[in-house]
Amino acid sequence: MILQGWEAVFFWVFSIAAIFAGLLTVMARNAVHSALFLISSLLSVAALFVLLGAEFIAGVQILVYVGGVMVLFLFVIMLVNVGAEEQGRSEILNKPRQVAVSLGFCLLLVGGLLFAINTGYRGLQKRDEAKLSGSAEQRLLQDQTLARGATGTSRITTDTQKVGNSLYRFASLPFEIASILLLVAIIGSVMLARTLKQEAAVDDVDPEVLLAKVAEEADLAEN
Amino acid sequence: MKSLVLVFAPINFVDALLLKFFSPETINNVVWPFIQIGLVVTLVAGWVAYATYLERKISAFMQARLGPMRVGPWGLLQPIADAIKLLTKEDFIPDKADRGIFFIAPYIAVASAFIVMAVIPFAPDWGVIADVNIGLLFVLAVSSVGVLALILAGWSSNSKYALLGGLRSSAQMVSYEVAMGLSLVGALMFSRTLSLSGMVNAQAMDSVWYVFYQPVGFLIFLVSGIAENNRAPFDLPEAESELVAGFHTEYSGMRWSLFFMAEYAAMVVVSAVAVTVYLGGWYFPFVYKFTQANGHHNLYVIVSLLVFIIKVLVVLYLYFWLRWTLPRFRYDQLMDIGWKWLIPSALINIVLSALGIFLVQAVNGWRGFKTIDSMSAGLNLTATGKALMIATGLIGLVITGMLLSRINWRSRDFNLKSQRRNIKLVNLPKGKPAVPVVAPAGGSEI
Repeated sequence: MILQGWEAVFFWVFSIAAIFAGLLTVMARNAVHSALFLISSLLSVAALFVLLGAEFIAGVQILVYVGGVMVLFLFVIMLVNVGAEEQGRSEILNKPRQVAVSLGFCLLLVGGLLFAINTGYRGLQKRDEAKLSGSAEQRLLQDQTLARGATGTSRITTDTQKVGNSLYRFASLPFEIASILLLVAIIGSVMLARTLKQEAAVDDVDPEVLLAKVAEEADLAEN
Repeated sequence: MKSLVLVFAPINFVDALLLKFFSPETINNVVWPFIQIGLVVTLVAGWVAYATYLERKISAFMQARLGPMRVGPWGLLQPIADAIKLLTKEDFIPDKADRGIFFIAPYIAVASAFIVMAVIPFAPDWGVIADVNIGLLFVLAVSSVGVLALILAGWSSNSKYALLGGLRSSAQMVSYEVAMGLSLVGALMFSRTLSLSGMVNAQAMDSVWYVFYQPVGFLIFLVSGIAENNRAPFDLPEAESELVAGFHTEYSGMRWSLFFMAEYAAMVVVSAVAVTVYLGGWYFPFVYKFTQANGHHNLYVIVSLLVFIIKVLVVLYLYFWLRWTLPRFRYDQLMDIGWKWLIPSALINIVLSALGIFLVQAVNGWRGFKTIDSMSAGLNLTATGKALMIATGLIGLVITGMLLSRINWRSRDFNLKSQRRNIKLVNLPKGKPAVPVVAPAGGSEI
């Protein structure tokens, strides 16, 4: 991405929005507000993906994270959020140990960022103008081979096709393994969420036998 | 171009006017899109106003009434009277409501419905606002954001009815979104592109609508689209008889009408996508031959636009028709339709479409049969290929129906308890059963 003109304006707008929304996510008192700020942060990141020319990733980001994951998050927060409001009234920086640990991580992060920015700046100093303009020309040539969009002002890129091709040609096994992993996670979470009592109710166990068993389990847990 | 009537030449006139003030690049990338967006927003807002009128008139005719007749001739000014009433109504905010979220929820609903229209090709050439390579994915992604508005509205109202409506709507929309996305995959296999203009072009090149290749996909898309819009018979999130008005119980005045607007705009979006993907979009036989081929370019675009609008109106009529014909589903029936019928049939549809395309490719060149014309814009088939593909689609409809009715056969009334007595999850001596086993009503077990 070469930052110039409107592209630069949009880049700065969305990157600053992403950072501030991320900060507000951890600083908001209300869990629903946090979720909303997280959604804004995710949307800004999707916009950054569009600026990078990765439209497919941007679309998937919105579809999966905003439309799917965050909706389920909100669903859960609304069902579980009883009494969270009272806790939120206290100070943010009220636990010294946690503050110390997060400060330590902050320092690490700042150190890492300083190092990265320094290296990047040094790289910028000795950049090769000829190489840069050459790559820009190459990109322009590549753009011209793409099909024209219906509006006539844009080109239809082929990155979706590329993602699909490489995913199914070179990574079909990991892809399938990932889907199996998700299936296992679903079944596992259902099994974890069900209590002994629910299982026994479906198994049609005598209530007296069940009560004895539950008491036994409780004893085991205490010892 | 000289023979054009002035009525069909406004585009060139506007272009000439704009060129006096802006550079061609600015016109192409900024000014024209703004004009198009303004037109679309105005048209859809007008549609929303008159959709209420249409809905009342259609329901009235279905029930042998007259409907609104007092304001203007045949009650034609009724929507304007309604709008004035809504604008002057008190904007009520409940006590202890989360004000910020309560304010923005209607805007999220309206925005997510209107943004989708950016990628829909209303007509060729200047009838397209934006043509992106992820068109269909964009439509699904942005319309999935609309769920947030309903949940947030339900939660922020600080009302039990609204919260229940919000929870119901999120469960409903999340589960029907899956079927909606999967049903479109079959059509994608034929168009070989995600760009919506590309899909229309592929259908125009083939001179066939994808509804003939994809009858199952079209049906799934329609049903899940109606469910996504929370329209009857899937209007559980706002079921009047149990939840007052569901997620917008506490909204009044302009904010309530924003939700209303979002609902009707989302209906337009779903019908427009259905028309684009399955019903050929702006393509209609013979239009090109009588207009563009004779040099009337703008006439071609305008006639195509009219074709698109008429197709969308036909699909929209279906919404009204269904609303006043079918009763509301129960909640468990809704979940049954989504998870036991639509999603499995969408998956079967993907497999069968892939098999159909494989068959067409295998037959191509076998004993002199020629099925594939070219693969340049979508999958272009010859007449033999088309007949084969349509036959595969119909057989697919039958196979899907039979397979699913077999799988779901008596899935509602089978005796889970008596089956589960044979499977032990907990290693416990059974003792006497907690609930006496009742013999199933139908007699024999599965």
